[in-house]
Amino acid sequence: MDPVTGLMGGFAIALQPQNLMWAFVGTLLGTTVGVLPGIGPALTIALLLPVTVYLDPTAAFIIFAGIFYGAMYGGSTTSILLNTPGESGAMMTALEGNQMARNGRGAAALATAAIGSFVAGTIGTLMLTFLAPPIAELAFIFKPQDYFALMLLAFLSVSVVMGTSKVRGFIALFIGLTLGLVGMDKASGQQRLVFGLPDLLDGVEMTVVLVSLFAIGETLYVASRYGSHKPNLNPLAGGAWMTRADWRRSWKPWLRGTLIGFPIGALPAGGSEIPTFLSYTLERKLTRHPQDFGHGAIEGVAGPEAANNAAAAGVLVPLLTLGLPTSATAAIMLAAFQNYGLQPGPMLFINSGDLVWGLIASLYIGNLMLLILNLPLAGLWVRLLFIPRPYLYAGILIFSLVGIWGVSNSVVDLAMMFGVGLLGYVMRVYDFPIAPVLIGLILGPMAEVQLRRALAISQGDPMTLVSTPLSAVLMALAVLIVAVPAVLHWRRTRKIEPLAP
Amino acid sequence: MTERPYWIAAGTVGLGALVLFKAAQLPQFDQYAHIGPGFLPSAVGAGLVLLGLILALQIRRGVPFHEQEAEDIDENHRVSHGALLLAAMACALPMLTMQPLGFILTCAACFVLLTAAFKSRAWVLNGAIGLVFSAFCFWIFGKLGVDLGGLLPLAGV
Repeated sequence: MDPVTGLMGGFAIALQPQNLMWAFVGTLLGTTVGVLPGIGPALTIALLLPVTVYLDPTAAFIIFAGIFYGAMYGGSTTSILLNTPGESGAMMTALEGNQMARNGRGAAALATAAIGSFVAGTIGTLMLTFLAPPIAELAFIFKPQDYFALMLLAFLSVSVVMGTSKVRGFIALFIGLTLGLVGMDKASGQQRLVFGLPDLLDGVEMTVVLVSLFAIGETLYVASRYGSHKPNLNPLAGGAWMTRADWRRSWKPWLRGTLIGFPIGALPAGGSEIPTFLSYTLERKLTRHPQDFGHGAIEGVAGPEAANNAAAAGVLVPLLTLGLPTSATAAIMLAAFQNYGLQPGPMLFINSGDLVWGLIASLYIGNLMLLILNLPLAGLWVRLLFIPRPYLYAGILIFSLVGIWGVSNSVVDLAMMFGVGLLGYVMRVYDFPIAPVLIGLILGPMAEVQLRRALAISQGDPMTLVSTPLSAVLMALAVLIVAVPAVLHWRRTRKIEPLAP
Repeated sequence: MTERPYWIAAGTVGLGALVLFKAAQLPQFDQYAHIGPGFLPSAVGAGLVLLGLILALQIRRGVPFHEQEAEDIDENHRVSHGALLLAAMACALPMLTMQPLGFILTCAACFVLLTAAFKSRAWVLNGAIGLVFSAFCFWIFGKLGVDLGGLLPLAGV
């Protein structure tokens, strides 16, 4: 099916009244969790999994897509008006956006962020529309060793890029891999790391790990270090809307941000932090108003916001075409696909074309809804931050219990919630990245299947793992990702040593 | 943070050793797929042991550990162990009470404990809000098809 026909069919599905309603529910929820601290898009989708099991998969993924995009909008609103980025991708927006708001230009900052997000989200979704099918076609020629090499690259890049320390990134990844090993081995039927507990035979539930790491870990962390800050809203909000000069200064950063965000989002471990940071740096270099940077430059809001949303669209490319999640939210979306017995990848476009195209079409619709929801109602959204924190976090705990207890009514899951929650707390205190745990948990078993398949076909020859051009290139990249920073670090320390007295 | 958390390195090595021990009881190779069910656990266990040792070396060299940033936390990252204990109790309580007391009472108790961890001392009000909120969640998620168990399993309801 060519992309245009597919997309038309997708719109026919997404524009059905009940699907429009689900898209609205998703965008509403997404914006809410983007604004609120302690709860993000990945956690929201995880908590909704037990509920959405009873929905048609297309409806469920339309909600998830709304949450995914909506969280970006919500994050930028609080960054600008309150200097509290709800999401990590909105951190750069806070730098200039909050300064603009302090100078009485909050409305212009919100407008450039929302319109930039809309432009980038739409262009990003367009790129997804036309790039995903050929990449999915390409994936048909992927052999097991290519998949294995791709997953290895994802493991290594996620661990190296995320967080401040590579060792801690790898420890997080290996903890995830360990959790992924628990349960019955699918090839041999042998029990692995089950410790005699029948509840663990089916493996560790992704929802339980994700909810515990994010919600329980964060709740313990914030409770132990709680410092009450009253949101200081009124002096920041309001002001004049975008002027003609603002439009002139914004449109190029929107496009540049999109071009930076989309490809980086599509890379393993690209995430949203790197493109927003790169976009901010680029705009700072290219601007004709360098004196404004640090004091509320509109380019510094427009570029990173566009990059952030384009990266979100980029993340969907490897997820839908190769079944490769590159962020925590993508990992939980992959788990959601698996809940429905669907495996993202080339076959998804053929077997579940309605779902994929309905999802992509709903991204366009969701983007438009978000623009309408966010532009005039920004002041209303930030009022959510006035929910007293004791009630907010206690509410998050109860939702977590719904998510975990509702999965299988298992006390083992509750014990795991406590144990993994404590792990999440320690990881926050000692600065271990959390996403590699999830990537290891979900990709580990898949990588093992591909490794076994490749070795079975080659009758046990390990050289088969680099026998195709693609697998050789991906393996080489994987080695470089680990080796290059290590060599650079070694050279740097060697240069410094002779200078020491 | 200037402390030297060797216990994290020890925990990583310990976890790796446990995985290695359990993996050793499984076949490492098989005839068809060449990689047996114990192969990957062995590799992961060995990796954890190695990473734990590297972390210990880094800690010995004095590598810094900075706490992650989050919203709503004290600017100086001052830790209240009492609040941490209360929050941990709120998260551990469901293990003990969910089966006998059911979802609503357990969640209401968790609500009170966690609000107390966040320095809210209005016990009765928080208990009432927790009870109403938990009952609402029980009802609405039940309607949506999520099985949250009985109302009060101890009484057979």
